[in-house]
Amino acid sequence: MIRIHKQLPAAIFFVMLCLLSPVMAAPAVDVEDPWIREAPPASTVLAAYMVIKNNGDTQYTITRIESPDFRDAQIHRTVVEDGVAKMMPVEQLPLPVHGSISFEPGGLHLMLFDPLRSLREGDEVKLVIHVSNGDSITVQAPVVRKRGEDDHAHHHH
Amino acid sequence: MTTQRPTPISRHILIGVIIVLLATAAGIWSARLVLQRSGPQDELSATRFPVARAVQPFELVDHNNVAFNNASLQHRWSFMFFGYTYCPDVCPTTLSVLNSVAQRLQDLDVDVRFIMVTVDPERDTPERLAQFVTYFNGDFIGVTGTDEGLEQLTKQLGILHVRVQPEPGSDSYLMDHTAAVFLFDPDGRYHAVFSPPLSAEKIAGDFRKILQAYQ
Repeated sequence: MIRIHKQLPAAIFFVMLCLLSPVMAAPAVDVEDPWIREAPPASTVLAAYMVIKNNGDTQYTITRIESPDFRDAQIHRTVVEDGVAKMMPVEQLPLPVHGSISFEPGGLHLMLFDPLRSLREGDEVKLVIHVSNGDSITVQAPVVRKRGEDDHAHHHH
Repeated sequence: MTTQRPTPISRHILIGVIIVLLATAAGIWSARLVLQRSGPQDELSATRFPVARAVQPFELVDHNNVAFNNASLQHRWSFMFFGYTYCPDVCPTTLSVLNSVAQRLQDLDVDVRFIMVTVDPERDTPERLAQFVTYFNGDFIGVTGTDEGLEQLTKQLGILHVRVQPEPGSDSYLMDHTAAVFLFDPDGRYHAVFSPPLSAEKIAGDFRKILQAYQ
């Protein structure tokens, strides 16, 4: 009896470990809702937005994001200081444990330089997000037309 | 030299300092009174000047290569933003907000227009600006010109614009620039300013109040 009792916690731990394994197998870092703002015809710079989630217990860092459809890509943060908008390059982007980071207009964004093909609404662009643990996540980001008319739609009479 | 009693000269200085301090305090106090008296101001998120400011002469061109100067600001309300076309985030976002403002003000019986003045005239030709601004709204106006023409306008409005040197290996530079939206009244005077973060709802709402007070 004593022996069984001693082994019980270990057995429970083992069973729980088995139950948890599907959760643990989930990727540590997830990328949700990626999109690229369609640019005016002559534009050679675009911006991509997304939400990057850290599901793990470790603080990871996004080291780089790239796209085969652009000559170059850099993570930038728009900062307004004393009324002046500035672009600050972000070399390392830490992802808080069990937290997420949002790339959104007027804030953090992926600046995309010189598209290698014409990109219009409906096109999809491959983004590769590199994580400090060596993982890389590939997502397809749709090109979305956002010109300010859509957010007014619900105001029409 | 250490004397306990102030000499006549230092007493004069002391009196002078007191007068200056009193005058400053009086100035601040009366300025606050004036600002408080401007009534519905406190309900605005915009900053409206108690007295609209005259705009000193400036000479620029619009995206159709037509002169754009003080006279161009007359007879209608003008929303003005300072940006550039090689700007991936702030400028498209602001022009989207301004397009949303335009949609929200469609019911008004007043002439309103929206202007983006480039802070990067070296790269932003009228043709390039035309493609950029009309993508957001066919009625938007792009304005460019010489560095001198740009300075004539930006200096008096307190607009900051600085070219940021690109990283080695990159040939495209970015610009730091004032992100606010400026409003000019039909007399061509600088009337109000909307500071970031910009919201189409707030700008449109404020404009209706400003219009009521103006008429």
